[in-house]
Amino acid sequence: MRKWRCRNCGFIYDETLGLPDEGIAPGTRFEDIPEDWYCPDCGTEQDDFELVDY
Amino acid sequence: MTISEPLARTIIDPKSYARREIVDAAFAQIRAEQPLDKAELPDFEPFWVVSRHADIKEIERQPDIFHNGDMSTFLSPRDGVERVKALTGGEPNLIRSLVSVDGDEHKALRGVVFPHVTPRAIKPLEDQIRQIAREFVDHMLSFGGEVDFAQDVAFLYPLRVIMTVLGVPQEDEPFMLKLTQELFNNADPELNRRRAELTPEEMLKSLWETTMELEAYFAAVTEKFRANPTGQINSLIANATINGEFLNHRQLMGYYIIAATAGHDTTSNTTAGAMWALAERPELLKAMQESPDRINAFVEESIRWEVPVKHFMRSAVSDCEIGGRQIKGGDWLMLSYQSANRDETVWADPFDFRIDRDQNPQIAFGYGVHVCLGQHLARMEMRILWEELFKRLKSVEMAGPGERTISNFVCGPKHVPIRFTVN
Repeated sequence: MRKWRCRNCGFIYDETLGLPDEGIAPGTRFEDIPEDWYCPDCGTEQDDFELVDY
Repeated sequence: MTISEPLARTIIDPKSYARREIVDAAFAQIRAEQPLDKAELPDFEPFWVVSRHADIKEIERQPDIFHNGDMSTFLSPRDGVERVKALTGGEPNLIRSLVSVDGDEHKALRGVVFPHVTPRAIKPLEDQIRQIAREFVDHMLSFGGEVDFAQDVAFLYPLRVIMTVLGVPQEDEPFMLKLTQELFNNADPELNRRRAELTPEEMLKSLWETTMELEAYFAAVTEKFRANPTGQINSLIANATINGEFLNHRQLMGYYIIAATAGHDTTSNTTAGAMWALAERPELLKAMQESPDRINAFVEESIRWEVPVKHFMRSAVSDCEIGGRQIKGGDWLMLSYQSANRDETVWADPFDFRIDRDQNPQIAFGYGVHVCLGQHLARMEMRILWEELFKRLKSVEMAGPGERTISNFVCGPKHVPIRFTVN
């Protein structure tokens, strides 16, 4: 499972945790998130997320 | 060792920001010698000066530890904060807006407007904004070769865009511009309410009067949009509820005021600063006309270059370590966006305006959950204006000395006299 960071505001999408409040189940891979999803903190779209290693 | 008093005075003095080279030199010294250290001045609560890009990002990504609203959100002397508390019934900020609230309240308030200002949500506004941009380019060209770009274009175009989005009638734009300038440029005798040098006490008094005038205006806005709701932002604010209740008076007024002031002043400053940079670099206009695909790089560099919000304050709610320094619960921190956007470890040639940067991770909009709500609209309106200007401009140069506002908070160029020719 990987983590992705919004380049604009630093929000982290953690595939392990998903975003249950937004209907994204734990374990959902970043590429499987619905296309109309955007960063919940700043609105940046998925293209502007970067893969980060922790 | 703390930051020396002369250096600390330089980075907080509104007059320093009117001569940017002074403040840039001071912060370059701070980044090199004391990148995260305390300033202790007799008239202020002690505060940390956070000068590095990485440290500001680390702080802003931890909003549970670093609060906006527990202490003053911008740098104010101790007695000024006490006077504000007396006026507000104990709150350290005169206006309770998105930038001065935390936690669930911030999340709920931000959620009122946020879905309406995402890149996807604002895309349908592109044609309308382009039409406004063309009108202002025509307006500029009507001056016939010389214009004060700050006064006659940069202050007016973002104002028209945001007032259209908010639902403020055009005839009220001069009123909104005047009160915005009073609010943010209180230290500048050319722009403040009294048109004079003011004592700190007079400054607070005039700020309070401006705030009351804005509140009187927006009280009628609430009434209007509750009677006839629309999709405009002020209507969303007027009709928003949290846990089934309308926003309280201070939340409501704070929201209107920040949207109607910060929503254009920051973009105006950035646009004016970009024109100033362009007018001093003949090769830049040529480069943009040869490579129009660099437009987003130009806009992003404009934002980094101008940094319209110079600082915000945070306070720590618990002990933690940032940048190798121990921060204690209750400490007050000055996040200098002016400094962070000149950080030599992030940008090569940070003191030059360049459109060929591969990466430009500017943080002039802030970072984390408090990142500027209107950033995508700001980017879009600047991109459109510059696309229209680059099509028409043949040459541009300064026609006299530019002049910056005297302010250490939200500010930028107030006069950018240019001489131009058109294609």
